[in-house]
Amino acid sequence: MKKGLSALFLASSLWGYGEGVIYWAPHMSHGGGHSQGKHGGHGMGEVTMLHAMNLDGNGSVTLITPDLSKDDLNLTDTALTLPKATIGGYYALVLTHRSENQVDSAIRYLSQQGRPSKISPTKLTALPKTDLEIVPDPLHREHDRYTASKSYHFVLRLHNHPLANTTVFLETRNTPAQSVITDAEGKFTVTLPNDFKNVQIGRSENKPSEFLLTTQHREGDTLYKNTLTMPYSLNPNDYWQSQPYGAGAIFIGFLGGLFFYRRHKKNQGVSRG
Amino acid sequence: MDKLLTLTALRRVIQLTAFVFFVYGAMIFTTFYTGDKLTQSLPALSCAYDMKGGDFCSLIPLQHQMDHRVSSIFTQGEKVLPALMGTLITLGTVAVLILILNKAFCGWLCPLGFFQDVFTMIGTKLGLTQLGSLSREAVNKIRPIKWFIFLFLVLILPLLTGIGFLGHEWGNPYCSICPSRIMTTAMGGDMSQIYISQASWGYFALSLIADLMFGLMVALALFVRQPFCRICPMLPMQTLFKKIGLLRLVKNGDSHCDSCGNCVKACPMDIYEIQDSTEHKNITHADCTLCGRCVEFCPHDGVMNLKYGPVTLLTSSKESFKKRIKIDKWWKE
Repeated sequence: MKKGLSALFLASSLWGYGEGVIYWAPHMSHGGGHSQGKHGGHGMGEVTMLHAMNLDGNGSVTLITPDLSKDDLNLTDTALTLPKATIGGYYALVLTHRSENQVDSAIRYLSQQGRPSKISPTKLTALPKTDLEIVPDPLHREHDRYTASKSYHFVLRLHNHPLANTTVFLETRNTPAQSVITDAEGKFTVTLPNDFKNVQIGRSENKPSEFLLTTQHREGDTLYKNTLTMPYSLNPNDYWQSQPYGAGAIFIGFLGGLFFYRRHKKNQGVSRG
Repeated sequence: MDKLLTLTALRRVIQLTAFVFFVYGAMIFTTFYTGDKLTQSLPALSCAYDMKGGDFCSLIPLQHQMDHRVSSIFTQGEKVLPALMGTLITLGTVAVLILILNKAFCGWLCPLGFFQDVFTMIGTKLGLTQLGSLSREAVNKIRPIKWFIFLFLVLILPLLTGIGFLGHEWGNPYCSICPSRIMTTAMGGDMSQIYISQASWGYFALSLIADLMFGLMVALALFVRQPFCRICPMLPMQTLFKKIGLLRLVKNGDSHCDSCGNCVKACPMDIYEIQDSTEHKNITHADCTLCGRCVEFCPHDGVMNLKYGPVTLLTSSKESFKKRIKIDKWWKE
């Protein structure tokens, strides 16, 4: 088992994905491209086992639940099995590793089913979790999912304050790192690449992949590093759904309506005559 | 200014406010997650596909519950009550909201209803010849369609999908053809819901119907009042609870009613039954959207009444009828 994991880890290192940073990877995805089950929304199919990739030594793991309470969890080697969710909604999984003059951290948000927390997920994202933190702005909603070819907004914070003019890298398994720079309010936008391979027709036939956001900032003698990993799905409009045909069908429907109008006008002319 | 003091003008203001809330609510009012804080089971076509929206229409949870939960009675031998609990909660929420506002959700809050009204206003201003009322025969032919859509697209097909008789595309077939899905997402700047799918014949058929119907609805709305509302599956669901609604249309008819017919001409849903003479009776029909136009356009004192519980909110009168006719002429000029 350990050999297999090491081989997968080596393979991922050769591709350069997540090199030099710690990050969360769902079980079965740390060497490949897939992350979770086929089903998207409601937390169904969400992974229950993750790996703290590139973690060298001990790291502390905190699970922040949708009601904003915190649980400390223990890693087994680099693996983490999530406890059974009782509260439904978004959870934040935070990994922190401190060494001399360096603080590494990794965050991942997970959606789980359960009793509603009655607390908005914006409070979960607003909650300071690490010194340097990439924050989704906002997290997508229940029926949404991160999708290729779409743009998403994030905020970079240092000690809970926006961090401007800082480079953030976006990486996926199949696309080399691209960089963006945060604006004066620490905000930045990334467009997820359409880089799925061996695409099958039908959304449920294609498992999500993973994207990784990485950033670092030096303050005095301390170097802070942070990563955010999340799954993303392919965009059917890039493959088996045609938007121009859709617009064409709407136009044909509209013409059908105009045909009815002409007939109605004609009938009215006849009845008046 | 006097022209703005009508029930229709008030309705337009409320419709516009509701439209902004339901289509952009998550961006404007509180947080991105406004929808999570409300019921997610509104008896109005506020689409869950609109990620900027303020709340969900109750039809999406109903279809999902049929597909994923109710079907488990047949596939996994699940006990009936636990399997139906989600559906009962959704229906219970709808019942509470109907108790408060009855079918006024359609006439006053539904974003798709307002969207169609706007196109009718545009058509009127463009000078298009408006189709006053559909014939009684046409209305009778159209009416069963909404029941067919409700029973098959909202309940039966998703249930058969969950049991395993149908493919995944039939899990939420109503949402797949609903014009509100295209409208609300497009109004939020997201055009991704306008597509033709080639994933399977089922997906192809549903996406084609959705786009054709949306285009048809927009064109029809230019000269027909509320074309889609006539087949909307929200009406049957509201009909199930309409008797408990505190807001209702009460008629105290007299002999004039047989010959007048103003209420039917004013009704955007062409409900001929409201013309029938009756005494102190709740005449809130299955198709009624409680827009109140029949009250506004009734020329007889105290015949048509919009009531909330025991309180009369609006009653018809000769005076208000005259004023309303003048305003209507001014609007159509």
